[in-house]
Amino acid sequence: MSRLQSSINTASADFRLNEAHNRRLVAEFRAKQEAARHSRPQRDLDRLARQQKMPQRKRIEMLLDPGTPFLELSSLAANMAYGGESPSASSIVGIGMVSGREVMIRADDPTVKGGAWYPLTVKKIVRALDIAMENRLPVVHLCDSAGGFLQLQSELFPDRYMGGRIFRNQSLLSKMGVKQLALVFGHCTAGGAYIPGLSDYSVIVRGTGAVFLGGPPLVKAATGEDVTVEELGGAEMHTSVSGTCDYPADSEEHAIEIGRDIVSQWDRLPRWEAQREAPEEPFYDPAEIYGIVPDDIKKAFDMREIIARIVDGSRFHEYKPNYGTTLVCGFANIWGFKVGILANNGVLFNDSSIKGAHFIELCNQNNTPLVFLQNITGYMVGREYERRGITKDGAKMIMAQSCSRVPKFTVMCNGSFGAGNYGMCGRAFDGRFLFSWPNHQIGVMGGDQAANTLAEVKANQMKRNGGTVDQSAIDQLWEETRKAYQEQLSAYHSTSELWDDGIIDPLDTRNALGVAISASLNAPLGPPGYGVFRF
Amino acid sequence: MVLKLDLGGSVHHVTILARRPHLVLSVDGRRHVVQDLDEASDGRRQLTLDGKLIAFARAGSADGAIVRLDGRSFALHRRDAAEASAAGGGANVVRAPMPGTVVMVHKRVGDKVQRGETVVTIESMKLQMKLDAPRDGEIAEIAAHEGEGFDKDAVLARLAAPAEG
Amino acid sequence: MMTAPDDNPPFRKVLIANRGEIACRVIRTLREMGIASVAIHHPVEARARHVREADQAIEIWGETPVAAHLDIAQIVEAARGIGADAIHPGYGFLSENARFARAVAEAGITFIGPDADTIALMGDKIWARQFAADHGVPVAPSVMPTEDLAEFTRQATQIGFPLLIKAAAGGGGKGMSIVRSAEELEGAARHAASEAQRYFGDGRVYAELFVERPRHIEVQVFGDGKGGAIHLFERECSVQRRFQKIIEEAPAANLPAALRDEICASAVRLAAAANYRNAGTVEYILGADGRFFFLEMNTRLQVEHPVTEMITGLDLVRLQIEIAAGRDLPFAQDEITANGHAIECRICAEDPEREFLPETGTVLHLDAPQAAYLRFENALDRGQRVTADFDPMLAKLVAHGSDRAGATRRAIAALHDLALLGVKTNIDYLARVLGHPAFAAGELHTGFVTQHKAELAAAEPDEETRDKILIAAALGLRDFRDLALGVPEPHASIGHWRN
Repeated sequence: MSRLQSSINTASADFRLNEAHNRRLVAEFRAKQEAARHSRPQRDLDRLARQQKMPQRKRIEMLLDPGTPFLELSSLAANMAYGGESPSASSIVGIGMVSGREVMIRADDPTVKGGAWYPLTVKKIVRALDIAMENRLPVVHLCDSAGGFLQLQSELFPDRYMGGRIFRNQSLLSKMGVKQLALVFGHCTAGGAYIPGLSDYSVIVRGTGAVFLGGPPLVKAATGEDVTVEELGGAEMHTSVSGTCDYPADSEEHAIEIGRDIVSQWDRLPRWEAQREAPEEPFYDPAEIYGIVPDDIKKAFDMREIIARIVDGSRFHEYKPNYGTTLVCGFANIWGFKVGILANNGVLFNDSSIKGAHFIELCNQNNTPLVFLQNITGYMVGREYERRGITKDGAKMIMAQSCSRVPKFTVMCNGSFGAGNYGMCGRAFDGRFLFSWPNHQIGVMGGDQAANTLAEVKANQMKRNGGTVDQSAIDQLWEETRKAYQEQLSAYHSTSELWDDGIIDPLDTRNALGVAISASLNAPLGPPGYGVFRF
Repeated sequence: MVLKLDLGGSVHHVTILARRPHLVLSVDGRRHVVQDLDEASDGRRQLTLDGKLIAFARAGSADGAIVRLDGRSFALHRRDAAEASAAGGGANVVRAPMPGTVVMVHKRVGDKVQRGETVVTIESMKLQMKLDAPRDGEIAEIAAHEGEGFDKDAVLARLAAPAEG
Repeated sequence: MMTAPDDNPPFRKVLIANRGEIACRVIRTLREMGIASVAIHHPVEARARHVREADQAIEIWGETPVAAHLDIAQIVEAARGIGADAIHPGYGFLSENARFARAVAEAGITFIGPDADTIALMGDKIWARQFAADHGVPVAPSVMPTEDLAEFTRQATQIGFPLLIKAAAGGGGKGMSIVRSAEELEGAARHAASEAQRYFGDGRVYAELFVERPRHIEVQVFGDGKGGAIHLFERECSVQRRFQKIIEEAPAANLPAALRDEICASAVRLAAAANYRNAGTVEYILGADGRFFFLEMNTRLQVEHPVTEMITGLDLVRLQIEIAAGRDLPFAQDEITANGHAIECRICAEDPEREFLPETGTVLHLDAPQAAYLRFENALDRGQRVTADFDPMLAKLVAHGSDRAGATRRAIAALHDLALLGVKTNIDYLARVLGHPAFAAGELHTGFVTQHKAELAAAEPDEETRDKILIAAALGLRDFRDLALGVPEPHASIGHWRN
């Protein structure tokens, strides 16, 4: 495989402009992330300290194997919901190494409303368990939750992908032989009680850990019975009387130690041995990505320059380089793992769509995971392209991509507009992981296009009704539409709604993909085959 | 995950900082690069630490390891959280220095003790020995019973974890 | 010392009434001489080295392993049953038991050692002392043993101070005390009497002039039982702890030739007078003023006999066997020469930091250096439990050099390289003793260890060393090692990364 030749001039004005812009975006992202992780009302922090409880992140650090990565997912979930009351959707989810095994770690956040679950918390937990199922990752739950946030119960309880889904997923994971361990540090109330209840193993901390369907106040109200937390669902009771928990721990640290020991007992399910080589750092400095991605989403750039800063040795075997050039396809290695990369270098034409479909088939034939680097404005429109069958060619790409048996990974490197999102493995296509860069925008169309479209419609309406066009009203509509769109298009909105698995610093792309690809190998490949391609 | 090892009565923290290109460990926050780990099975071992070759012998013990380095042998004990949590770092237990029998238990659970006060008298090898409280505190547990035997390193009494202040 | 088996071995089969390193040591010579060896063992030591190395083994029973090794009737019966024509008693256990020697002889078996009467004579401190005095061997001014404490006090005051008071029947330091003034005397005497009664069932006490900073010098002798005796030079065993030797050497350090000759001659005189047969050791204390006094005579092979073997090139066990078989002393005094210097270190399961209290454990790892100038006498096996059942001495490390400094250097280096892990030992402590300037200067006396306690204490390892130890230990813990080396890619390469 030959090394990509970069044509980036790092001394150019454009480069420096882009760099400043992207560094600002990343700083903004980091600030939001920092706030979501650590900014809490003092009284909540004081209460935690009083209970001699460690912050969840400290517990996670203790749980992880030292000197190994932790890929946190959806760190800014719910950042634009509930008036910012539920940072990270009141939970921490990520993939890391515990006792030499890749596991999904899922932790409640007791510093936010006692760890209560908001609707997006539930969505985040369900997604975490979906990831665990798709990738057969054992799960370690760090339980410390008051249960569902009752004020929003209708948004988190009744529907298919709401509260019950957590427990359904837990049950199926267990059936699949994918282990779950619950470490009960605080209260597991109501629904939360089923997390340890449905975990294959559970450890509970003496004094602070408790598991019950109804806490003492609820019991008092329901039956008049006076009962202490310890009697009702404490460590001693659950490990010696009810059997709801398995191991009592003397402290949080002890619980983590027992937990690590439990994980070390687990069998390692056979992994799918992907083609791989010894990892090699990229030849080009990944930090140059900041100077490559333009300061305006409308400006084009060569995705090969990004690939060169993500893949091993900046080496890339490009497939069909002279055909369908708006879609760059080729083989590379990421942290040693062989991958097939599809990256947008413009709008998808007929030839680029067919090339993409063919390349996806090659990767499936070759058992090569797929990585989609999205910067897509859609499939080409217009009479000429419809006549050539742009829809059926795009459909081929969607068919090939949807039916792929190899794991798929998507990185939203810039825009993701229109049906191009589908062909390039958008959220709906069950890629194993989907990450976004802070500059990412997503929608059926861009903000300007939407504003233009709506302004056009409005002007026509005015003409029909009175004949004169109120240009200031049109301008106002244009501006409002654009603003509303812009907000919804932003990466922060996407990630708030869990349309992705988190925003990442572009420089973290290589590591995120490394951990994600490695995790995906825990699950066997799906059955081969496609539906009917329209020719 | 941090490994806690007791060497000569003080607890040290060992953890892993990196594995590539070389193993990097932290000992109480100090960085050390480990290379060329020798896998010899005869107990004689060597490794390169911070660029210098060191030779040593090692044997695993029930709760730690014994290392012989530079002509001296050192016993290291692992301090697990179970003990640390109950005892606040291992300094809060009265531990049998050798196997023997309990002659007399001087304190009861709940008693306040001062550092150096005798908690248990034991007899071992025809020799009576007083075991003292390692610090001021309150007796949380007495595991020693007069006339009963115990093994080396058995915990004979525990002090309550220090109150938060 | 390796020689071809004798054409005409003096015995066909010898039972060793002992265990551990000395049993293995005796077996080695028996094998060289072409004599079959028989080990005895309690059930708990059925797989011990001496059992495996002997040609035959017999199980003996006892409430405790030690009791079994002290069971005269059973051992004599075992020897008779298996057809042994001689018994080697080693040291300790029954080696200085006159009843045993007599029982062996009465069973028609040769006892490799002196006859029972000699053992009995030398076994009684008072008789032995009197015998020595009668034959011109200097003895320290003393009070005759008595239970009459008033008479004892009167006589003791006459000798003057300091005085050493001890049980007449005792040994091993029980009831022993040093009295420096008349005021302390009565109380000390009473205490010694009660201790003597308690430990030995004999309340008689004894006192003698106490020699300040005494050195322990002993002379290896051999007698033919017919009045002929020779010496194999002296040994110095001044470095002691808890009244027991830990470092022995031959020859003694800085001993004027005339004094050496005088001491050796007196030992030979004593052996000859007693018609001593076989190996024996005459022990003296030597004062700084050059005065020396008879201490006792040990009627057996000493623990520290290898230092004598290393400087003389002789096999003392072979000599014992040949003499026991009735052969004459194979050489005259002037045919024996000493070459260089030898130092023996007793490796004990004990904690020098805690008053040398015995330690228990399991031998997890054993790696002893090897060299022509080294002997590592032991019967250790990996996995062997070190219990309080037997003496805490695990092994002996003996080094030879052309001079004292050379032997010391070699011994220190050997101790440095000796890895015996799993039970706390005094190995490192011994190295510190040998490395002490006062040891190098030969400024030895039996209080050496106490005098230099502070300098001999183990120094805290410095930070750099501590980190090395911690890392070496951590990487030996299975889970930590797995953690360090077993993490798969790409996690190992990505390392600590948070997004």
